[in-house]
Amino acid sequence: MSDRNQLVKENFINFVRSGNLPTSNSSLTPAAVGLNAPEVIDLFETQVMSRHLDLQSRVMQKKGQSFYTIGSSGHEGNAAYAKAFRPSDMAFLHYRSGAFVIQRSKQIAGQTPIYDMLLSFSASKDDPISGGRHKVLGSKTLSIPPQTSTIASHLPKAMGAAFSVDLAKRLNIEAQMPNDSIVVCNFGDASSNHSTTQGAINSTAWAAYQSIPMPIVYICEDNGIGISTSTPTGWIAANYQNRAGINYLYCDGLNLLDTYQKAKQAEHIARKLRKPVFLHMRTVRILGHAGSDAEFVYRKMSDIEAGEFQDPLLHSARILLENNILNAEQIIDIYTSVENRVAQVAEAAAAKPKLETAEQVMASIVPPVRASTNTSTNTSTNASKHQVTVDDSQRQTLFAHEKHNISKRQHLAKLLNWAMLDLMAEHQNIVMCGEDIGKKGGVYNVTAKLCDRFGENRVINTLLDEQSILGTAIGLAHNGFLPIPEIQFLAYVHNAEDQIRGEAATLSFFSNGQYTNPMIIRIAGLAYQKGFGGHFHNDNSFAVFRDIPGLIIACPSNGADAVEMMRSCVKLAQEQQRIIVFLEPIALYMTKDLHEEGDGLWTADYVPPKEAKAEVNQKISVFGEGKELCIVTYANGYFLARQAEKILAEQGVNCRVIDLRWLAPLDEKGIIEQVSQCENVLIVDECRQTGSISEALMTLIHEAHAASDKKTPNMSRITAQDSFIPLGAAANQVLPSASGIVDAAKALLQRKLQGKVQGKLQGISSEIKHTLASSK
Amino acid sequence: MNIISQKRRAVVICPGRGTYNKEELGYLQRLHADKTEIVSVVDQYRQSKGQISIKELDGMAQFNMRQHTSGENASALIYACALADFQSIDRNEYDIVAVTGNSMGWYIALAVAGALDAQASIELINTMGSMMTDGVVGGQMIYPITDDQWRENGETVTQIKQWLVEVNQVKTNEVYISIYLGGYLVFGGNKSGLKALEQKLPIVQDRYPMNLFNHAAFHTPLLNDISLKAKSLLSTELFESPKIPLIDGLGQIWQPYSCDTNKLYDYTLGTQVTDAYNFSKAIEVAIKEYAPDKLIILGPGATLGGAVAQCLIKHNWLGLSEKSDFIAKQKADPFILAMGIEEQRKEVINKK
Repeated sequence: MSDRNQLVKENFINFVRSGNLPTSNSSLTPAAVGLNAPEVIDLFETQVMSRHLDLQSRVMQKKGQSFYTIGSSGHEGNAAYAKAFRPSDMAFLHYRSGAFVIQRSKQIAGQTPIYDMLLSFSASKDDPISGGRHKVLGSKTLSIPPQTSTIASHLPKAMGAAFSVDLAKRLNIEAQMPNDSIVVCNFGDASSNHSTTQGAINSTAWAAYQSIPMPIVYICEDNGIGISTSTPTGWIAANYQNRAGINYLYCDGLNLLDTYQKAKQAEHIARKLRKPVFLHMRTVRILGHAGSDAEFVYRKMSDIEAGEFQDPLLHSARILLENNILNAEQIIDIYTSVENRVAQVAEAAAAKPKLETAEQVMASIVPPVRASTNTSTNTSTNASKHQVTVDDSQRQTLFAHEKHNISKRQHLAKLLNWAMLDLMAEHQNIVMCGEDIGKKGGVYNVTAKLCDRFGENRVINTLLDEQSILGTAIGLAHNGFLPIPEIQFLAYVHNAEDQIRGEAATLSFFSNGQYTNPMIIRIAGLAYQKGFGGHFHNDNSFAVFRDIPGLIIACPSNGADAVEMMRSCVKLAQEQQRIIVFLEPIALYMTKDLHEEGDGLWTADYVPPKEAKAEVNQKISVFGEGKELCIVTYANGYFLARQAEKILAEQGVNCRVIDLRWLAPLDEKGIIEQVSQCENVLIVDECRQTGSISEALMTLIHEAHAASDKKTPNMSRITAQDSFIPLGAAANQVLPSASGIVDAAKALLQRKLQGKVQGKLQGISSEIKHTLASSK
Repeated sequence: MNIISQKRRAVVICPGRGTYNKEELGYLQRLHADKTEIVSVVDQYRQSKGQISIKELDGMAQFNMRQHTSGENASALIYACALADFQSIDRNEYDIVAVTGNSMGWYIALAVAGALDAQASIELINTMGSMMTDGVVGGQMIYPITDDQWRENGETVTQIKQWLVEVNQVKTNEVYISIYLGGYLVFGGNKSGLKALEQKLPIVQDRYPMNLFNHAAFHTPLLNDISLKAKSLLSTELFESPKIPLIDGLGQIWQPYSCDTNKLYDYTLGTQVTDAYNFSKAIEVAIKEYAPDKLIILGPGATLGGAVAQCLIKHNWLGLSEKSDFIAKQKADPFILAMGIEEQRKEVINKK
């Protein structure tokens, strides 16, 4: 294949010199599309730069200097549409967009695209976008957030970002993007088959169909093949030509003039009419899928050669010649001088330093804390520019519907609802989105009245698509909002979890902290709904979030904590730019009583904002001071453990019960401090035996004690079975119960008792010991 | 394999105002006696304007501060010296891959890169240099922003920008950053603005903040009228596409084939005159986008060497992280070749 690189490189010169160039049916002239001669040459130069960067990456790979060879060859037509947009139009790009980035970099003075891209090939920590973490196309200055586009997971957030532009205008929010911005998002023909693409385009159309402004230009760069699988002829056009709500345009990406002209049309529709466009652009793929791709194995040589002859650079050369802009030798001069320049810069870039320690690699997983801005009157954070003071009379209006209830103890759902009423009033950039969260107030009334109070622009009923809900949130966050998306049930998030794992959570990492998307993802979940709903409404696994670097998981077990923790989460998001999953135990939403009907022990008073603690509290909570047994648990497990604690206390066992509250990161210090004071530790986990946090707790406690001289306490755990949750009473068979906790506690204490007895009996004959041991 | 020319690749940097001083008196006579063509084109033009010839200026027995540094004389004089130096570069040894300059050096860069022919060059340079004959508009003041190892101090810069805001809050004050000059900031403003800023800036190295004699408030909005006047006096026809890529005071690259001469004209007589000149950015773009083997600073003088070195240090170029690294590098195998320094000049010129 390396010969192919050389051949394609040399063919350009040979074909231009001999005049053997691909033809076109288009009779467009530069003037007809509004370009002058220097601009056409400039676009061609961009294409040449992109091509030589592709080729150089492969040269560098052979020398062990480059770690990424997926290139833009054949797709260099994207230079032409880059020119049609403004550099402030946020662009979510796929990996064949080298020419787009170079062309856009020419719109803002002082950019160094060749050097920067070579730094990213060589994974240098000087790479200005990712700091050596990934070869991503991106730039803060150029409004190109970096991402991996390999599975089209960037489309939902592009949709969300487009939605956010006019939303900011409607809400008069000071956003990242100017109000007349549009969003640009490109992807390949093969990627159009991803559910993320389908979902994002469907959501865009769904919104636009009901006249919601969706200023976005999707560009499908159709090269007819996805790695080795051909796209059926006509597939893209047939699919997208007649979509409700979407304007379809087609351009020949091999022809700079046609591409520029159609892109300007697309830009006009998106910018002026605020309507979405699907721009279908024909391209070819040259030099295979990547440097390692042996294209000849699955593709006929005649097809490969036919593609190469349709090289967009050759088409551009033809345009330059036909319009008497440059002669063949001038074209070749540009080609070879760029080649030399790229080779020279490559040497400098390859010599730049790399990331050398885990600490350096991980430095941008957690985003930077937002810089404080000091003004003469006030010290405030950058985040709080959206924060306003809500006075008592405003709060009275806000809570008018609850004036008879506000001073009474309430359950979790109500308290959380009130906390969000206050938070939305204080933080003007909070926007909620989710299924049925508007007038209905959500399935469990947790968002009741929010839509009435703050309107449909801030409490958005979305369509039923979890990827789109999370994509909307990510896009909103890119534009300066603090989104609080809701996933209706925990089981549903699995449909969309990559939006968190692969997109939201990686953004700071891949952008060296330059781009962030703080948000609070509310998810109703966990089991114990008295047999109703079966698995999909009782899912008891959040393992999918546990290993996502930098993600915070909050899980309150009661209303007072829910209020305090939600307020902490807003601070964490606004000030520290964190992404938080806020897991709400459905079964405890309406729970009022702990031990017996009417005791009201699971209700709490609402703490108004001005009486709330200012600091973020990410610590565990502890009930009781017993030293005999420490129960470590959370959510429903905590509720059940509190019931068990009473029974155990009545039987003379002194317990303390820890509510973890924050499931990631764990308050490790707090946990160890508590358990090390106790002789026995029982971990109660309502999630499955496999993959639940009980595993992490066991490990944590063992490792912490092993590392110190302290004796490890006796430990056991009780968890849910490795099962899905069935309907009806059968659900109880696979979940921990209060009586089960009591039994497990007794068994643990018994075992320990037995150990003590054994110790005392030292010296007695082994025969008796054997009898004792087997009498269990 | 790429076919890379065996010649060394150089970026040429053109000097600005204030580079023809006492030590440079006789530069043309001494070093460029053979280049009579350059001097005669300049002096014919100046004669038509009734101005003193640069031949006479260069040949004077004594350096006259007022005469040699005033815009209408210094510009043409420095241009002629720089152009003569440029023509002395051994082109068998060096490929010139890009040209840039500082401040007035931009006009010289246009000339040596071929965007202006010999006649157009002197017309533009002399016209721009003579804009202040009716009185210098405002002034310039220079101040360092690095430590003694030439490492930029971010806090100093932030503080200075804060002071600029404060100074400009007084209605009669007008002061701006005029040039980003490596380890220095050059301010341009009116008298009261510069005075107010001067009072805020702590005195360092016993000489800064330093007012630049005979300099106007170049590269600031105070020159808006000058920009308009320049456009009325000079035609777009003077400009042609450069033969060598040009890097301007915003860090934009003007390529030989794709250069739009109307835009180049607008930049040169518009933005460049009224907006800050970011020489530091120009050097950053030069090293990153061309990775040259050498940087050649044209004479007269060699005062840009420090500023360029400070830019290299800022970007840790060639592993240079402080002044002592740079000095060691220059001793062992100089990366910057300043033609105003005898020893380095030898490395650049045709040895025959």
